[in-house]
Amino acid sequence: MSGHSTWPEWVYVGVVIALLCYVGAEAWNIERIIEHVPEDAEIIKVTGQQWIWTFEHEDGTKEIGELHVEKGKAYKFEITSKDVIHSFNIHDYVVLLDAVPGRVNTVWFSPTDVGEFDIQCREYCGLIHYNMRGTLIVEDKGA
Amino acid sequence: MKGIIGIGAMLGLLVILPSIQYVLAAGDSAGEYLDRRVVIWGLFYRLMIVAFTVGTVVSGLIVWLVLRFRESNPKATPTSYEASGSW
Repeated sequence: MSGHSTWPEWVYVGVVIALLCYVGAEAWNIERIIEHVPEDAEIIKVTGQQWIWTFEHEDGTKEIGELHVEKGKAYKFEITSKDVIHSFNIHDYVVLLDAVPGRVNTVWFSPTDVGEFDIQCREYCGLIHYNMRGTLIVEDKGA
Repeated sequence: MKGIIGIGAMLGLLVILPSIQYVLAAGDSAGEYLDRRVVIWGLFYRLMIVAFTVGTVVSGLIVWLVLRFRESNPKATPTSYEASGSW
């Protein structure tokens, strides 16, 4: 040892460790909160296939390329794929989850604004990937 | 050393294990309505504050070190090794 003081180094190491702990804990906690599905959430089965999205509501109603939901209600998506890996994305509501063949992934959201929003595949899935789109239509309750 | 291990074990028993149990149990109850946009972007902004603060401190420290300890700095003095000429 050269005999110089090492406390600044230890303070630096301590601050770095503390920041890493904060970042990890904060991200983990937020992930835990947003994965917590409300009890009354309606389940919508989402299926990706080259190159369309199909949706099935709890009452059996099926939609292709369009998804009608009600403002203020919670929806839990059960996402899967029939062929290759896709990724279900509603950009405006920060919903993004892979659609994997043989596996059901879940994510939930609650729309807050009436209107039309884009649905887009976010995992390159073949020639027409760029056009594997859909529309989320959020309507007022009872509309 | 034994003291540190003892304190670590106590913390593990008193804090960490109950926390894990609480968090795992929370997964069984229903969640509350929330706006994903607010929560996720809020997290993003908080982590960006951390990232840019660290980036500023680290790059600032590097710039200061390079300028302060360059050979041409008037305040630069030879190290004891350089002054004596022997390593």
